[in-house]
Amino acid sequence: MIQTIAFYLFATLLIASGALTILARNPVHSVLWLILAFFNAAGLMVLVGAEFIAMLLVIVYVGAVAVLFLFVVMMLDIDFAELRAGLARYLPFGMVLALVLLCEMVFAVGAWRAGGVDLGHRLGATPADVPNIEAIGTLLYTRYLYIFEGAGLVLLVAMIGAIVLTHRARSGVRPQNVAAQNRRRPEDAIRKVNQPVGQGVEL
Amino acid sequence: MTAFFQTHLGYGFGWFLATLILILIIALPLMLAVAMAIYADRKIWAAMALRRGPNVVGPFGLLQSFADGLKVFLQETIIPSSANRGLFLLAPIITFTIALIGWAVIPFGPDMALADINVGLLYTLAASSLGVYGVILAGWASNSKYPFYSAIRAAAQMVSYEVSIGFILISVVLWAGSFNLGTIVLAQKGEIFGIINGFGFNPLLFPMAVMFLISAMAETARAPFDLTEAESELVAGYQTEYSSMAFALFWLGEYGNVLLMCALNATLFWGGWLPPIDWAPLYYVPGIIWLFIKISAFFFVFSWVKATVPRYRYDQLMRLGWKIFLPVSLFWVFLVSGFLMLTRYGAGA
Amino acid sequence: MVDLSQYLPILLFLGVAIVLSTAFVVLPMVAAQFTGANKPNPDKLAEYECGFPAFEDSRAQFDVRFYLVAILFIIFDLEAAFLYPWAVSLKEIGWTGWLAMMTFLAELVLGFVYAWKKGALEWE
Repeated sequence: MIQTIAFYLFATLLIASGALTILARNPVHSVLWLILAFFNAAGLMVLVGAEFIAMLLVIVYVGAVAVLFLFVVMMLDIDFAELRAGLARYLPFGMVLALVLLCEMVFAVGAWRAGGVDLGHRLGATPADVPNIEAIGTLLYTRYLYIFEGAGLVLLVAMIGAIVLTHRARSGVRPQNVAAQNRRRPEDAIRKVNQPVGQGVEL
Repeated sequence: MTAFFQTHLGYGFGWFLATLILILIIALPLMLAVAMAIYADRKIWAAMALRRGPNVVGPFGLLQSFADGLKVFLQETIIPSSANRGLFLLAPIITFTIALIGWAVIPFGPDMALADINVGLLYTLAASSLGVYGVILAGWASNSKYPFYSAIRAAAQMVSYEVSIGFILISVVLWAGSFNLGTIVLAQKGEIFGIINGFGFNPLLFPMAVMFLISAMAETARAPFDLTEAESELVAGYQTEYSSMAFALFWLGEYGNVLLMCALNATLFWGGWLPPIDWAPLYYVPGIIWLFIKISAFFFVFSWVKATVPRYRYDQLMRLGWKIFLPVSLFWVFLVSGFLMLTRYGAGA
Repeated sequence: MVDLSQYLPILLFLGVAIVLSTAFVVLPMVAAQFTGANKPNPDKLAEYECGFPAFEDSRAQFDVRFYLVAILFIIFDLEAAFLYPWAVSLKEIGWTGWLAMMTFLAELVLGFVYAWKKGALEWE
């Protein structure tokens, strides 16, 4: 019973915050609603028993991706007039996307006839006594090994791409060279002189 | 206790009431502990500077934090006219809530965790990764210059050290073979020669324990990494515009997070609720007392460092996180897993 | 198998924590109305700017390095996410799994070295 209540609680909040994400006028508010949506999605994941995925959703999406989103929307001065001008240009593309999403939704609602909300029912059988994080581990690194390595390559490309796109070497800065500082000995910096009177100091 | 309530009140409601009481048993002493931690911090800091610290309110000044609490409670909550009202008030709520919920999975004794979940360690990691939102929101919603700078700094700093914390935790998980905090504690039993409890005593894991302690300081923005509230540059950081209890909640949240990090240090590396030596008579002392002693010891270290170490510069902070902790902890994952493959798992294969 | 009854206390705890902290914020505001501490005036409500009136927009644009830190963080966080299930299943997957992860880590170390050499980790 509590499971069902929790499901409807999370699902309602998820849909509501999803709707508010696109309806909020302030982009920062949008991102915050999106974060709430991620949370509720994590709650739903826990309900279907995917606790590892739920935690990852919070750690990666809420803890990392949404931080970047917030960075972007907080720090970019967003010019709303310009955004509206862009609307007309992207309208056809947006309509296509909306159409695809609409089809998906129709299919999803159509699938409602397939049966009630039965959280105990799963497509693939899961071993009863293994925590699902271990179950994922045993499969991911043996059976899906190539896909996993491919994911590593994607991450590598992403990292290099991000650096190429955003990194600008600055000129005129003098960064601290810690190694050089540590290597420096008194002999390198200090000179003992017996300074004769009446002569200038040689620098 | 759950069984007692259930026999008297029916199954569902009894469970609900028992859990609610358990939650309050954790949350209320935690707030008391935070109040005392603030007092202890000030006393330790004062003692190291040859001062007396708070000594007027109550015996030895013990009630100082409560007097401060009452004072801020009766103060006016100032909301700057240019601030986003809702988010401005939401930020301290988020900070404090997150400082509280991390405690849900900490084992206080054998089978004495509020929620004994398989992925307990990931849960605490998730909770600590949320801490950044309170700060960002506070800085942004204030719509004021210094809080905003502080928020950006804080976000980049917390995020940088979370990376190394993640890798450090993997070394621990490799050794313990589980993400459940209770199992991790039990795995530390008799770690060294079957006598001493705690991964931290293991020479292979000791460097990780030290790095985790330092990362914990950076993650909670404690001195020497308190660049988010560096008063010489940023006034009071993201809390500049806050007053009254909203301001105090940031304080409480900060100390709550510090205590949580101390508890994690104790749980992950120094045996949690286990006594330090695996010797039967020591087990008669309740586990929660051992945990409390360990948390206090780590809190003392935090205060000690705060009193003695000068503040880092921002580039030094970033360098430490990205160029030292990240590669070292990554290398340690390789080292620990390789060692385990050779000795524990892969020897026959 | 997931024991859902272990997650319900977390949900309750979250509820209790939110109620507690909201009460801490709202109650003083209510109390201030009764004690007469609530006396706002325009100067008090102005944002802090060392005594001057604020002279520029406080939400300025930011150095792109902060975005780069955030992007690198996402990538390393994802890498760590791949390490979590590996760390607990090392016993089952044996040397194959270990070598697979070492290859994966080598790919990431390559990226890390690139970032280092490019100076993306530098904070001038």
